[in-house]
Amino acid sequence: MNIRKFRAALLLPIASGCLLLSGISSVSAQTGDALQFSGFARVVAGYLDEPHATYLDYDDGISLKPQSLIGLHVDYQIVDSLSFTGQFVGKSGNEQQTGIDWLYLAYEPTRATQIKLGKQRTPFFNYSDSIDVGFSYPWITLPQQVYSSVLFPTFDGILGNYQWSGKEFGFELEGYWGNYDDIIFTAGDETPAEVSDLRGVIAKINNGSWAFRASYHTADAALGLSELREFSSILQQFGFSQSAESLNPDGRVDFYQISASYENVNYFLRAEATQTNTESSAIPDINAYFVALGYNYYPFLSYVSFGKNESTYPKSVNEIPIGLDPGFDALAFGYQNVFNSLPSLSSKSITLGTRWDWKTNLALKAEVTWTQVPKVSNANFVVMDSAKFDRKSRLYQLALEWVF
Amino acid sequence: MKYGLIIILFSLACSRAAGADSIAVVANSEDVSVELSVQEIRNLFMGGVVSYDLVAVALPSGSQTRVIFNTKVVGLTESRIQSYWAQMRFSGRKKQPIELSNEEMVLEYLKSHPGSIAYFPADMELPAGLTVVLVVD
Repeated sequence: MNIRKFRAALLLPIASGCLLLSGISSVSAQTGDALQFSGFARVVAGYLDEPHATYLDYDDGISLKPQSLIGLHVDYQIVDSLSFTGQFVGKSGNEQQTGIDWLYLAYEPTRATQIKLGKQRTPFFNYSDSIDVGFSYPWITLPQQVYSSVLFPTFDGILGNYQWSGKEFGFELEGYWGNYDDIIFTAGDETPAEVSDLRGVIAKINNGSWAFRASYHTADAALGLSELREFSSILQQFGFSQSAESLNPDGRVDFYQISASYENVNYFLRAEATQTNTESSAIPDINAYFVALGYNYYPFLSYVSFGKNESTYPKSVNEIPIGLDPGFDALAFGYQNVFNSLPSLSSKSITLGTRWDWKTNLALKAEVTWTQVPKVSNANFVVMDSAKFDRKSRLYQLALEWVF
Repeated sequence: MKYGLIIILFSLACSRAAGADSIAVVANSEDVSVELSVQEIRNLFMGGVVSYDLVAVALPSGSQTRVIFNTKVVGLTESRIQSYWAQMRFSGRKKQPIELSNEEMVLEYLKSHPGSIAYFPADMELPAGLTVVLVVD
């Protein structure tokens, strides 16, 4: 049994356990003042109206697997100012990792200050630390143009948060530092990564119905792309140092993020823009944004969102002479081939959807997403027949979101 | 005379309805000069902090008083508030206020817990010793 089948097999008993737990949910929520259990689950069915490619692991058959998941959460208040939190998330999708997402000690010296030590979700974007909790946002699938660029989903380290509220504004300032040593998903492939010195600072401000967030994150990433590194070493041995350096998969990664939201009882507007700059040859620079407009008609809401991103890799270097030596020609061919094979991440999409809050802890959602990519070779799609794939797809999704 | 009586009764009904839709935010605080803006009260009931050391107490979803408070003070629908708390709870960011079943239980809690703050219908009779920090019509 491979690890993915093992993870999928784990989900059934966990889901059964959760159903049992939900039967005693009023008790499970608070088994005592100190120890609290809770959880969340989502069942997402999707169908891609495109026979020649897959998108987010969906194809032209109805599938529950890519995004269905279950999360179990435990909080234990050790003393007044010290608590422990753990969260396990079981996922059935191929591009998602089952395991512990949160495992930390939290110290609150004052009500305005929180310090967390341990494994935590990396707070890159607005929803990146609750990305698995579909109940917490309107969409079924968060706008992929922005949210597919969450490279390092968790970190082991320390996070500090301070908040303050004035007569007109509320402020929040957050900083974190840590490491990430696990696999990442770049260009649709799993890659082992050792990420050190991962740190960031986040500022939030809210005034009435408006909320703004701006953040900066940076990290040193070493990717386990041994073949690329070996080829880079060969180029270095032949004295093509610029070419060798241009293939270096390791290096600094910088993220910038800004977002704004306006919401009242009738309408909401949410927008988020991100920029990723990297020194790595394997991770592209990405500019991304989305804008969403929604209308609340309780217990329903409907929304339309548009997202777009553009990815660019570093340019190849014309350093290796061609036509002088067959060995150099082979090197030059191999070098260009690496650059030609780097898949684009660029895409744009429009999503229309409706959410129905059936109960206070249960929501049903329906969503359709039109996605278009500029080239057939694109990391968003796994293409089975490139001659027939027209670079467009429609994804239909239905979801049940549950918190308990 | 008949029309005058109808107008008076209609006016009384309207004023009663307006009173029932008003919200008083009330604290059990030693500092009787405590004053909070709508922004501060919103932050406090959404898990934030204010310059006073106050702990929010809320009514459960489904309570009419909570619906009015959500609409006039928080400015969000109940479902948006529930999704907000899902995000806060499972990311360990903020804690939801204590929820008690009805206004009478909240009032009892408030009287016995210095430093607590809650909301009530503005026309509800409140005992001496509690401080009204804001009334929203």
